[in-house]
Amino acid sequence: MLPKFDYIKPRTLKEAVDFLSLHGKEAKILAGGTDLLVLMREEAVKPKYLVDIKAVKELNTLSYDEDKGLTIGATVTLNEIIESDIVKERFSILHEATSSIADYEIRNRATLVGNICNASPAADTAPALLVLDATVKAVGPEGERAIKIQDFFTGVKKTSLKGKEFVKAVEIPNPPEGSRGIYLKQQRIRSEDLAIVGVAALVAKNSAGKRQVRIAFSSVAPTPIRVFEVEKIFAKDRPIRELIDETVSIVSKKLSPISDVRGSREYRAHLIEVLTRRVLRELLEKGRN
Amino acid sequence: MSRHEISFRVNGEAYKLYAEANRTLLQLLRDDLELTGTKEGCARGDCGVCTVLLDGKPVKSCLVLAVEADGKEITTVEGLAKDGKLTSLQRSFVEHGAVQCGFCTPAFILAGEALLARNPHSTEKEIKEATSGILCRCTGYRQIIDAILDASKK
Repeated sequence: MLPKFDYIKPRTLKEAVDFLSLHGKEAKILAGGTDLLVLMREEAVKPKYLVDIKAVKELNTLSYDEDKGLTIGATVTLNEIIESDIVKERFSILHEATSSIADYEIRNRATLVGNICNASPAADTAPALLVLDATVKAVGPEGERAIKIQDFFTGVKKTSLKGKEFVKAVEIPNPPEGSRGIYLKQQRIRSEDLAIVGVAALVAKNSAGKRQVRIAFSSVAPTPIRVFEVEKIFAKDRPIRELIDETVSIVSKKLSPISDVRGSREYRAHLIEVLTRRVLRELLEKGRN
Repeated sequence: MSRHEISFRVNGEAYKLYAEANRTLLQLLRDDLELTGTKEGCARGDCGVCTVLLDGKPVKSCLVLAVEADGKEITTVEGLAKDGKLTSLQRSFVEHGAVQCGFCTPAFILAGEALLARNPHSTEKEIKEATSGILCRCTGYRQIIDAILDASKK
């Protein structure tokens, strides 16, 4: 049985903003509901109002612009992203990450914006969004503001959204020309489980032949995290094996996995090393980037 | 708590009724409309036995509010057979003995029907992917997959 609440269904963005300006602290946004309704049933959250934003048309758009890149509205479902040809072709790492979440039925309801707003350290779309340099578009009583994805997550289940703000969309610029990305996820079973460790990497070479590498993780720190420190070492032309060794040493120092029901701290530390090597070998050695 | 008028179609029939905000679609179907083919298992989106089709797409009805179904078309397992005649997928479940205790059967059949509607010739891999959100605790998965695979060849 769900606890009691009032259900509000704004028809326009302004109506949603106005309602949250008055009741932001006591309200929760309802999009897919696949995390929120479970938390409510467990009484982990007890909102006085649920604000269903699915009738707000402009939040339901998945669009692509040659210059601006991809825009994913707050109510776009994971399956809508997975089925998008442009995502498959130009943002394949996002296609991989969204396909790895839960199961087909959950993905018919769950949204990417919900995945990041829930701000689980295990959020599967987060590592991909981090290496893709995504921007979160928040809206509130003072208007809109853009938050870089790496500044969006502030702690376990915490984001930099203010009480009366909500996320309107996520914007993703075109990835570097010729880049390739992979999301690897270790889990106990397929579908009904969260990642023990997730790692996303994106590799590109610029026109001067300089190598660019970005790497980000889920489930190994209080927030999903991109390890910027490794990026400068790839600027130098050194043997790939050395670069991978150094990356492993940097990420192992930076990350702080914990023990939980899915895996011990030690096992996670081991997986960080194995998956970092695997993802970089796949992209750098096989891809000759 | 707020109370809402809901107009929707279930198995082709139009309904107009009232529901409290915190009522789930699952409760509405089972308790108000007495369509008990849809089962309640975990009630937290893991087991999938509460699967129904919402505008043709399989969803877990324990995680859908009744009020969210306003204006939608719902299909439950009761809506599949027409005039006592089973669908070819339902017949395939019978032929393959893909039913043990039967608790997950409506969910697998609805997920299977939705898969065959969007992809009439599905592979085993596609069938597994499309049904991975439903648990059969008798673990009779082999017969279930065979039944859908067989129906997809016809």
